[in-house]
Amino acid sequence: MSLRQVFEQNPNRRYIMFGGKGGLGKTTFSAATAYWLAKQGYRVLVFSVDPQASLSDIFQRDIFGKGAVEIMPNLFAQEIDADQRIREYQQEIRQKILDMYGLPEVPEEIENYIQAAAAEPAMEESAIFDEVVDIVVGGQYDYYIYDLVPLGHALYYLSMASVYDQWIDKITALRAEMEEYSKVAAVMQRRKETEEDKILRELQEIKYRINTSSSILTDKQKTAFFFVIVPEEMIILDTQKAAELFAKFEVPLSGYIVNRVIPPALGEQDIPQYLRYRLEMQKTYLAKIDQIFGNQVLARIPEFERDITGLPMIERMAEVMFGGAA
Amino acid sequence: MSDSEEKEKPSLWNTFRSVLYGMAGHDMARFALKTRGSMEHLFILITMGDLLGIPILPPYYSLRLLPYVVPQISTWKRRMLREKDLTDALA
Repeated sequence: MSLRQVFEQNPNRRYIMFGGKGGLGKTTFSAATAYWLAKQGYRVLVFSVDPQASLSDIFQRDIFGKGAVEIMPNLFAQEIDADQRIREYQQEIRQKILDMYGLPEVPEEIENYIQAAAAEPAMEESAIFDEVVDIVVGGQYDYYIYDLVPLGHALYYLSMASVYDQWIDKITALRAEMEEYSKVAAVMQRRKETEEDKILRELQEIKYRINTSSSILTDKQKTAFFFVIVPEEMIILDTQKAAELFAKFEVPLSGYIVNRVIPPALGEQDIPQYLRYRLEMQKTYLAKIDQIFGNQVLARIPEFERDITGLPMIERMAEVMFGGAA
Repeated sequence: MSDSEEKEKPSLWNTFRSVLYGMAGHDMARFALKTRGSMEHLFILITMGDLLGIPILPPYYSLRLLPYVVPQISTWKRRMLREKDLTDALA
């Protein structure tokens, strides 16, 4: 099956993700796929969940932290600025405290906590995770293309969803139990109503946000996840391991794309020995890839003679990935 | 039996009910509120553990809850950090 067929036969899969080790071409494929879909008339948003995002580089425009930027008709790109998001979020919390208690300033102890929490290593990922909810819930686009973080982080991202989910379930249950005790006391004291538990409501809102994000990641009907690999031994082994882990999190794996394949036709020309060895090596590993992943391999993308940056190169890449005119 | 009715005539019946509450219900209500208070502290420990240096998941969403527990933070910290000794057990 070709990459194009996967898209044409599964028109409901509107959340497209490219995963794989760093530097293999996830961003390139995300951009090219977005380009191809946009050319077909779909409204597409490609966004990066990587704090070290490179969509700005590939589109040759500074879009970092600027929201969804229109690159060409129907094609929008967004790079989330996690730091900015965290700063705004902190400010929101401070303002809420001031408003709720009519304080002139946030108590020192509380302020320290707000600052310490923002320095947590998980904060950046969490902030991005949370912004993704806003993006996908917005529903303004036909296709959402996630330019994912490298493998390790992506796994962290996925496991975070399930850990959050359990955490929130536990404390929501505790909170509900507390409400029961309040009610008992209220009945005894013959008070009519207990105060509405605002914390419980907030917890339910958090739960909704986490579930929205994680349910998309694991929805077989709506989501397609592609692994990017290159014909090299280490990459193949790592990807195999990662695929097993992803399967545990029930990520709907749609196939593999092999990148950086040296065109075999080169072998018939007069080429240096060095390149000939590289060709031989790739041939071995391409055979191995076919043996391991079989018909799940959807495309072999040749190594280009130059970087994929700027729309004309992205267009060339889209043609190679999906075949000529759309 | 609405509130306004009760306020109009503080009847014998109402006095009797208050006495009855004092005898039977008050302790139970107090116990329920005390249990709830303990749970409130447990809840803050789970969500705001970092305040005591106990890192507990996940700080991003605990911040959302922070505004609601601001008044309880100081009593909670005092309770959590209080040294325990023999007299506590006897009390």
